[in-house]
Amino acid sequence: MSIASFLSPATRESVAPPAEGVPLLEVRDLSVTFYTPRGTVRAVRHASFTVRRGEVLGLVGESGCGKSTVAFATLAYLPGTAEVGGSILFEGRDLMTMPAGELRDLRGSRIAMVYQDPGSALNPTMRVGEQVEEVLHTHLGLSGQAAEERAASLFESVGLPNPARVGRRFPHELSGGQQQRVVIAMALACEPDLLLMDEPTTGLDVTTEATILDLVAELKDRVNAGIVFVSHNLGVIARVADRVAVMYAGQIIEEAPVRELFAGPSHPYTAGLLSCVPAPVNETGLMPQLRNIPGSVYPASEPNVDACLFADRCPMVQDICRESAPPEIAANAEGHPVRCFFPERVDSDTWGEPTPRPRKPRSTNEAPLLQVDGLHQYYGTDQKKYIFFGPPSRRPVRANVDVDFAIQPGRTLGIVGESGSGKSTAARSIAGLERRTAGEVLLDGEPLAAGVGDRPRGQQSKVRMVFQNPAASLNPRLPIGSVLVRSIRKSRGIGKAEARGIAVELLESVGLDGGYMDRRPRELSGGQQQRVALAAAFAADPELIIADEAVSALDVSVQAQVLILIAERQRREGTAFMFITHDLGVVRYISDDILVLYGGHVVETGPAEAVLRPPWSPYTEALLSAAPVPDPDAEPSRIRLEGAVPTLRQPFAGCPFAGRCPRNLGDLCNNTPPPMRVDSADPRHQILCHIPLEELAADQRAAMRGRSAVGETPRGR
Amino acid sequence: MARFLLLRLGLIVVTLLVISFAVFGVTEVLPGDVATQILGQGATPENVAVVRERLGLDDPWPMRYASWVGGVVRGDLGESLVQRLPITEMVGGRLVNSLILASFTFFVAMPVAVAVGIWAGVHRNSFGDRLASMFSLVAISLPEFVTGVVLIIVFSTTLGWLPSSSLVEPGTNPLTRPQILVLPALTLTGVMFAYVMRMTRANVIEVLETNYVRSAILKGLPMRQVIWRHVVPNAMLPTISVITLNIGWLLGGLIIVENVFSYPGIGRMLLTSIQTRDMPLLQALALLIAATYAVSNLFADLAYTWLNPRIRFA
Repeated sequence: MSIASFLSPATRESVAPPAEGVPLLEVRDLSVTFYTPRGTVRAVRHASFTVRRGEVLGLVGESGCGKSTVAFATLAYLPGTAEVGGSILFEGRDLMTMPAGELRDLRGSRIAMVYQDPGSALNPTMRVGEQVEEVLHTHLGLSGQAAEERAASLFESVGLPNPARVGRRFPHELSGGQQQRVVIAMALACEPDLLLMDEPTTGLDVTTEATILDLVAELKDRVNAGIVFVSHNLGVIARVADRVAVMYAGQIIEEAPVRELFAGPSHPYTAGLLSCVPAPVNETGLMPQLRNIPGSVYPASEPNVDACLFADRCPMVQDICRESAPPEIAANAEGHPVRCFFPERVDSDTWGEPTPRPRKPRSTNEAPLLQVDGLHQYYGTDQKKYIFFGPPSRRPVRANVDVDFAIQPGRTLGIVGESGSGKSTAARSIAGLERRTAGEVLLDGEPLAAGVGDRPRGQQSKVRMVFQNPAASLNPRLPIGSVLVRSIRKSRGIGKAEARGIAVELLESVGLDGGYMDRRPRELSGGQQQRVALAAAFAADPELIIADEAVSALDVSVQAQVLILIAERQRREGTAFMFITHDLGVVRYISDDILVLYGGHVVETGPAEAVLRPPWSPYTEALLSAAPVPDPDAEPSRIRLEGAVPTLRQPFAGCPFAGRCPRNLGDLCNNTPPPMRVDSADPRHQILCHIPLEELAADQRAAMRGRSAVGETPRGR
Repeated sequence: MARFLLLRLGLIVVTLLVISFAVFGVTEVLPGDVATQILGQGATPENVAVVRERLGLDDPWPMRYASWVGGVVRGDLGESLVQRLPITEMVGGRLVNSLILASFTFFVAMPVAVAVGIWAGVHRNSFGDRLASMFSLVAISLPEFVTGVVLIIVFSTTLGWLPSSSLVEPGTNPLTRPQILVLPALTLTGVMFAYVMRMTRANVIEVLETNYVRSAILKGLPMRQVIWRHVVPNAMLPTISVITLNIGWLLGGLIIVENVFSYPGIGRMLLTSIQTRDMPLLQALALLIAATYAVSNLFADLAYTWLNPRIRFA
């Protein structure tokens, strides 16, 4: 047991400082290989990096690139089947050869971790206070009142409401953002020297993500620790990192200070990743066309070879790239290591000239394809206090309340909102997977029955749905070909041979060749599965495709492939899309019209270009300002929403958003339902708000100007 | 909480009413006339008629049901047809005997089963784990009457360590000779022990894989604390459900085990009442067993609620 663990953190700093010049963390030539029953997985291939005190190293890459493995290796936490090569030096001492007892003393006290999915990282049967106090007890010997007080001060420092009492709560009583704050408090308990954050905001709503990122940015200045921040999201990395290491197929292919990396990437993969992210609309109002990285990641099951692992997907590949592995070279005078033979050739045109995304011409008087009027969707029935009698104790959940919208043929309606806002519910009731409680839905002027089973076959094949998780929506036992053929035959009533021909064409249209017909879903990557799911939706030749978070689980490079695919299909076949997503970048990129939902109510609707410009409803404004921007110089805006969308069982007295609205006017907003105001510039643009739109627009423009004019704006709350 | 208890107690009353109806119905349709049964084969029709009259057997069934249930509610279980004694008196001592045997089994076997399960789960695939798994498989596959007889042969006939019969002398309590309890309890334990142990083991293994156990390990907690504070409470939740189910098994097992070991409990009495067509006694015992089951389930649910904050006070 080390002496350090007996001392309070305040005095510990002065004990035996490591030798001058030794970095806090040095990972040298790290290789991690898992030997599993299903094959060998080379998760990390010869990765090296260092982390110094007081800096944030962003570790970015797509799924399967080994970034999380690196994080867990840094705590020497790998399954027994892992073989580790190289060394991980914490203050010069190798964690891999450290005795178990010493390692335990380091964990949670000097090296601490924050995890993805905080809900599962907390013990559900233990009060959160106890979970923090046991760290204090184990490492600092604090117990009883002293531990409780320290836990409360930790809760306060991470911005939890009511810090003295929140410790009595169980994890399920907290929102996702609050749970993550508890996990962060737990990690900070012993003032660690090294903090590992593994996708700490993935899976949280953008609004919550923004508040957690504020906290991380603030921690960076407050604690004198080195932070390794792992994320797949370039916007998040741009917001918090000082330096960024980009991982690809288990290698670190480029490492640079954050501004340098975003301004001038030196590896073609980095450049490609940056061009895959739907960027915010620029001053000209033009949306740059997305590029995509063809192919897929060099598989972890493949051995290390003497070649560039990115060669097969690289637009500037040369013979030498396939014959020998590129060494790590310096791209400029300051270092900036990169694993490429030709870093000087990488520029903004590596992936082709940026072109504006083609805008579809808007026809003004075309009849809508889908018309939804007064859609209500309630879940559950009234429950009585004494089961069979008594006053009602639980009302049904009001997931959609009086939702109206329309989709024109060949256009895309983007639906946004936080989780719990009723987006998916709306999708499911239009698809007929849930029977709507009330409301009228017309497709091509014909009424659409509430349940999908009650719709005539013609209507069934006109509306198709694509889900977030393609693996769960494709039958794992059926070859892909038979899924497609069945769908084609059912909707068009043609012979098997003919249907097979169409199926092959469909697969080709989503970028997969006919060889995939006989494969089963599990043999495909997530992106390929989602393309198959899209092909299956196309198979029925639908007029409307409802995509519920269809690209959310995909890596950016694959997401770009799917988005491009959707845009192409729309141009060729005139298919309309109802596109549900929490990612505002994606919404901006793909939508012609936007519908913003909050608590089951429509709070803003209109053409995309109008909705994305002020005036915004205060909720849209909050969503937009929460979205992370892949630009390290972007000034984070100050509007933050705390908490989560409430579960609604009672009708609102006032505005549905009043409880969290930063622009709440008080009595009026809380007690009087707001009017749907019409934008004078574009009558299709409507906002549910008590504040007159001119006033909203002026305020919001001023806030934007204020941000860009003043360099240093106070961050967060 | 009070509301939860009230609701559950109300439900138990409803359950028992339904069961009383079923028990009454089943004894109604059983073949054989009770009056003939009492008087023997040679009874004259006149005598049979008199007895039927006295027992109220000629009343329509709803009336007989109502008077029976009414009696039960007042604590009067009726009179045994065979022994002509108030059932309440007959059952009392027997019930205590059975409860002693059941509790002895339950409170000794369950903690041990859970402990072994935890140990096996933590030391997965070790020699001890495999041994425990093998033992539990054997125990699950053997019915009580086989285990009982095997135990008698080994410990009583061969080794002579324990008595083969567990008769209790009238007027004494089984606890005055606790050694008579060992073999019946062991027999009764077999299957339950195996189920609970395997379930605990599986749950421990599952919980060990969760992210919150990973967090606990990476907080630098000693392994013992990780297991006792993070793994065990969570692994116990589904285990409690299995234990609850096993209470029913335990009550059923009592009938067999008490007969194998001649132990004077309600299980043995139940079998006797069936053999002698002592309907009032049979009805009373069936109802009693159902009530025991319902009440012990309530306690199991309370324990579950207490361990699981997510449904506490729900």
